Amino acid sequence: MKFIDWLDERLAIRQLMKVMLLEYYVPKNINFLWSFGVLIMLVLIILIVSGIFLLMYYKPDANLAFDSVNKTIMMDVEFGWLFRHVHAVGASIMFLVLFIHMGRGIYYGSFKPPRELVWLTGYFLFILMAATAFTGYLLPWGQMSYWAAQTITTLFEKIPVIGPDLVIWIRGNYIVADATLTRFFALHVVFLPLLLIFVTVVHLYAVRIVGSNNEDGIEIPKEEKKKKGIPFWPVFMSKEFFVMSVFLIFFFWLVFYKFDFAMDPINFTPANYLQTPPHIYPEWYFLAFYEVLRGFFFSQNLGLIAFVLSMLLPMFLPWIDKSPIKSGNHRPLFKIAFWIFVLDFIFLTVLGKLPPTGLYGWLGFVGSLVFFAFFIALPIISRIERKELERGGNKQ
Amino acid sequence: MKDLKILAIISILVIITYIGIEPFAKHEMHGTVPPPDYNYLDLPKKELTGNPEQGKVLFKQNCASCHSVQADGISATMDKQTAQLSFKVVPPDLSNIASIIEPHFFAAFVKDPQSATKFPKFAMPGMSYLTDEQIGHIYSYLKSVAKPQEKLTGKDILHDACTRCHSVKYQKIKAQTDPKYLNDYLGKVPPDLSLMGKAKEEEYLATFISNPQVMLPGTSMPRLGLKQESAEKVIAYLDNIADPHKEERNKLGLWVLGYLVVLAGLTYAWKRKIWSNLH
Repeated sequence: MKFIDWLDERLAIRQLMKVMLLEYYVPKNINFLWSFGVLIMLVLIILIVSGIFLLMYYKPDANLAFDSVNKTIMMDVEFGWLFRHVHAVGASIMFLVLFIHMGRGIYYGSFKPPRELVWLTGYFLFILMAATAFTGYLLPWGQMSYWAAQTITTLFEKIPVIGPDLVIWIRGNYIVADATLTRFFALHVVFLPLLLIFVTVVHLYAVRIVGSNNEDGIEIPKEEKKKKGIPFWPVFMSKEFFVMSVFLIFFFWLVFYKFDFAMDPINFTPANYLQTPPHIYPEWYFLAFYEVLRGFFFSQNLGLIAFVLSMLLPMFLPWIDKSPIKSGNHRPLFKIAFWIFVLDFIFLTVLGKLPPTGLYGWLGFVGSLVFFAFFIALPIISRIERKELERGGNKQ
Repeated sequence: MKDLKILAIISILVIITYIGIEPFAKHEMHGTVPPPDYNYLDLPKKELTGNPEQGKVLFKQNCASCHSVQADGISATMDKQTAQLSFKVVPPDLSNIASIIEPHFFAAFVKDPQSATKFPKFAMPGMSYLTDEQIGHIYSYLKSVAKPQEKLTGKDILHDACTRCHSVKYQKIKAQTDPKYLNDYLGKVPPDLSLMGKAKEEEYLATFISNPQVMLPGTSMPRLGLKQESAEKVIAYLDNIADPHKEERNKLGLWVLGYLVVLAGLTYAWKRKIWSNLH
């Protein structure tokens, strides 16, 4: 009691708790898709903790990296295997929860005013997470680590004028080599996580200011928030803890019994720059974007432009979809477009792993076009909805 | 209810994606692995019988200049270094060979190693002048000194069948032949086997060991004529050393999941309590 008062006088801790937890109201009409933000935080913490332990034995050196992961950590260190499986599965599951979190944002229009900055910081977090995953994937220095890094860094070569020099600058060598490994290591364990944590703070701060969206997409005025909402702590979080524990059952089931999907067999062969594996593919969470790159199989340049667009277009959603109706629940046309987009994303993900020959090449092209069609359809749907709303408004 | 419906939709989408990128994509990339052929059906099936005494004499005359039989105190005339220099690979000790490989493969191999192994550069010269009867004697001699198959462990078989060329560095097993000679002999240094149990699936290894050219046309890996039991023991050993914590993992997993189920129960009860005061 006394200590709390002492703290309160110096840090205004009571006020802080009120703003952040006790008098921060979450709408009642939300479903469990709104739990995924907290799940992402949980996975992020799991990744950071397991990562710190892995860091204690990992050696960022082309001659030592593979053995330090596969021998020292996986075989010699007590429970080293557990921390590695947790980290690898965690990275994969991070993208699953991210995709669901973002999909919810798109469906319920959570990127629309006044939440543009929530969407932008969130999308920036997604890009940062992708960079973290990509740099981290090189660290075990297996065949797939190596050739995925080699392939993806080669893409930069196509950038006009500076391309070829840029690739060498990124790799620190003419090919992916020891210099690449150590710089990816530095990015993966210091720079990117720091940036991630900083942007996460901004993202959460922005949500505290504008509040959560809800299923109907109808804003609750400030005065009614207390009446129509539930306090973040303890009411919302009590449900969150239950969701988290169910999620952890799934997560640790994967870690103990189904970790193979996050550990490509080819990566248990040490990196060899003289031997290209027959199939090179990124981890599953990049497959859809990778397929957009390959989808334009007749022109590398076009594929590259499409790839960059596919990564960046969703960031501009607040300005692409300007329909006054927020929630997909009340937008029949949008609903159709959204589900086509989701199915197309899965379609592209699967195609991204298949050899890009014959029919698969053409399917990839069609899938890529459908991907972009979503972003072309959104402004059209918005216009139709706006007109309908105006007409409807006149009738009433 | 609505939450459960959403969960069901997400689960279905996740399962479809998983099937697409794992089993389906793997099948599309690697095709189906043909079943292993431990009967070496392309080679003539033969019963090998003979007299061990005569076999020993024949062995000393025809084989012992390169091969030793440590189990019977026979050492090779040629030392390892000389053999390595002339053949680019160390000849194996044959103490247990008769328990490890199929007899009819042995018969075909002695006469024409290059076609039996399907590796045209195989180092051993063919002994085509030996008659079937003589080979029968030699085989029965080797059979008489060999440990029975049941007593051989995966590691023993690996030592006799694989480690002349392959290292297993996480088990501190070094290839018996110097890698620089192997590079001349095979065109590259053969892969280390420490993690092979994880890098390749069991079906792949079985078919590859029984007939390397089927899985990897043009490979320098010779067909070795292993008996099914031998190959299975080696594969089990490779799996085991590649994943030494399997048992511990499976056991700990149950405790962790059990704990989490209890946790889920407690958090659900807490949620019920908080939310019941709400309305």
